[in-house]
Amino acid sequence: MTVKNNILCSKSHEYVFEENGEYYIGITDYAIEQLGDIVFVELPEINSQYTKGEIFGTIESVKAASEIYMPVSGKVTAINEQLIEKPELLNEKAFDEMWLIKVSSENYAEDSNDLQKYEEYKKEVE
Amino acid sequence: MAKTFLYNNHIKLGAKMVDFAGWEMPVQYTSIIEEHNNVRNNAGLFDVSHMGEIFVSGNDALNFLQTLVPQNVEKLIDKKALYCQFTNEKGGIVDDLLIYKLKESHYLLIVNASRLEADYTWLVNHKSNFDVTIDNKSDIYSMVALQGPKASDILSEVGIKKENQPKTFYIDKYKLLNEDILISRTGYTGEDGFEIIIRNEKVSELWELILEKGKPYGIMPIGLGARDTLRLEAAMSLYGNELNENTTPVEAGLSWTVDKDKKQDYIGKNIILNQIQLGTDKKLIAFKMIDKAIARHEYPIYSDNKEIGHVTSGCVAPAIGQNIGLGYINNKNLKINDTIQIMIRNKLYNAQITDKNFIKKHNKGN
Repeated sequence: MTVKNNILCSKSHEYVFEENGEYYIGITDYAIEQLGDIVFVELPEINSQYTKGEIFGTIESVKAASEIYMPVSGKVTAINEQLIEKPELLNEKAFDEMWLIKVSSENYAEDSNDLQKYEEYKKEVE
Repeated sequence: MAKTFLYNNHIKLGAKMVDFAGWEMPVQYTSIIEEHNNVRNNAGLFDVSHMGEIFVSGNDALNFLQTLVPQNVEKLIDKKALYCQFTNEKGGIVDDLLIYKLKESHYLLIVNASRLEADYTWLVNHKSNFDVTIDNKSDIYSMVALQGPKASDILSEVGIKKENQPKTFYIDKYKLLNEDILISRTGYTGEDGFEIIIRNEKVSELWELILEKGKPYGIMPIGLGARDTLRLEAAMSLYGNELNENTTPVEAGLSWTVDKDKKQDYIGKNIILNQIQLGTDKKLIAFKMIDKAIARHEYPIYSDNKEIGHVTSGCVAPAIGQNIGLGYINNKNLKINDTIQIMIRNKLYNAQITDKNFIKKHNKGN
């Protein structure tokens, strides 16, 4: 599996990466592995604004509901609609393909200061 | 944390381990949904060695047990099992358990892991002058559960031919792997199946044997995750969720386990019989989510914008493709098919009260 090289991860297992000026936010492969079968995804309204560290959605596995936190501040520009109908895609597809939301970010460089590169993050959690 | 004698088997199978009642137990091997469906369609093997085995014997064994449970233990014939609860002075449930009558004056009690100490203390404290021996052998025995529509075929391959297998809700002694073992036809999944009690030293060998013989029948090892969704889909209560010391069998929908004609006194009898006669405000309901959301343990239940109770268990029900749950409400007027709301993350979602037959039981039950 090739992972996008500019992907950054939070301690609470979210990731963010930039592509063509847009910022994609999702949860890491480690988080998905820990959750097991994902059966429900709740995502925010488009245009809603969140600050770094705020809860923006919920992911439910068979066992439990887990809140997801913004790794950076931003305004939601899109949600991954296919996950609403088929949350199991998170288990089935590559984690960095199955982003949850897209945001516009004003202070990305500053906000992402404390995030870890994927390789470092993986070393820490495993 | 305690480990069962199957710990190494679980690790070898790649299980994800979690803490359950102080035991390091497998929560899943592959996927909870896959394991769940495999028990409904084929068969599954569970490590339930954490559960407690307490032997009660002696001249007064029957009279002693009669003082502890609302069921009538006197009605038990040899080798038969009885589902019951230890009740306290308030009628609340100390634990729910199976009592097996092994033979005259010899009983086996299978109790929850989380309640083993409380149960043992309860038994000892109520022994008074009864001529009984209370023997907690949980440290000597392990237990595995073989469950699912193929369970009987697999047990036959393992060496216990179908004609010799115990009937539903019976227990018997067998010889396997040069060991004396006990097999009962009971379980916690809503499927046909067996629970096998064997000495710790032999359980790993038995586990391997069942998985090997079960391979042609599609057997899988099953973790506690699917054990929970299977029991919930079968609307069976879990101690700590639906049952506790402040909840009576009547409130928990277990009036069928109360013998109304039982002559002997038992702890909490007056309160329990009173509740049966007059009904209770608090009652356990089953529900299906109408709106797309999952109810979880402790979420509030609403009706007419008033909080009327709380969810005790909730999950996706893999075999029926719906989100289901159990919970307590304090409202006598609500009936089956009525709509209630569940408060989930500060929003109300609609659910419908249903009967407790989430799944049609496909027990073969011979």
